[in-house]
Amino acid sequence: MGRPRGFREEVVLESAAEAFVHGGYEATSVDDLVQRLGLHRGSLYQAFGSKRGLFLAALRHHIRTKLTAGPGSLRPGGSTAFQVGAVADSSRLDLLLVAALERGHSDAEVAVAVRGALTDLEQAIDSDLPVPRSTDTSARPVRALGLLADRLYERLI
Amino acid sequence: MATILIEGQNLTIEVEGLDKLWALKSRLTIPLAHVRGATADPGIVDEPKGWRGPGAHIPGVIVAGTFHQDGKKVFWDVHDKTKAVVIELKDETYQRLVVEVADPRATVEVIERAVSER
Repeated sequence: MGRPRGFREEVVLESAAEAFVHGGYEATSVDDLVQRLGLHRGSLYQAFGSKRGLFLAALRHHIRTKLTAGPGSLRPGGSTAFQVGAVADSSRLDLLLVAALERGHSDAEVAVAVRGALTDLEQAIDSDLPVPRSTDTSARPVRALGLLADRLYERLI
Repeated sequence: MATILIEGQNLTIEVEGLDKLWALKSRLTIPLAHVRGATADPGIVDEPKGWRGPGAHIPGVIVAGTFHQDGKKVFWDVHDKTKAVVIELKDETYQRLVVEVADPRATVEVIERAVSER
């Protein structure tokens, strides 16, 4: 779509990610999103097609900018990532938790995005280890999963 | 109330009962390629709907027919707002369909899956 949308997509995607982390996927209504994103309902539907479309776009944007690239994220080949816990701010993992728990079993595109993010994290952690581990990409990303589990534990009040 | 089915590469929406009279259409067939997504959205019923024509609008009772908003056509068939589903389209007469279905969550899953798998 070449038309200017009259809003900054990345700002909208970041606000959407926050909304979904805050309320969960299912419980976040379009009313909540419209209010939080400052968009008209019609614009939201026109830009993203559906709530799921918005979620998927927000998830992919988040993975791209906050987890696997961008400042403070895990960059493959980075030197200290593993020691500092791989992700500078572990709350960045929260959207992955929501996606995996609420959508990962029923939505193939969400599952692919989450699996991809975990694989990337795993590779980044691996590249920080003195001796690179297995290059078998079909293996479970156990260390990245460990980060997710850590984050779950950290969130307990 | 409407019944929504995926038939081959099409999405069909069958408007049931007396709503056929109000909505002035009993069946819509949309190629899946023109369906962008579906969302359960009770809140949309409380928003301004634009101007009506043709169809019926008795606030609090029924919204049915074609409404025009921001130069776009929206098809409505809703009595019970808790069961409203929004189906976003492209390259169609209607930009959007807002219909009442028996099970919004299941309907949304079926449509979203059909759209993402095509």
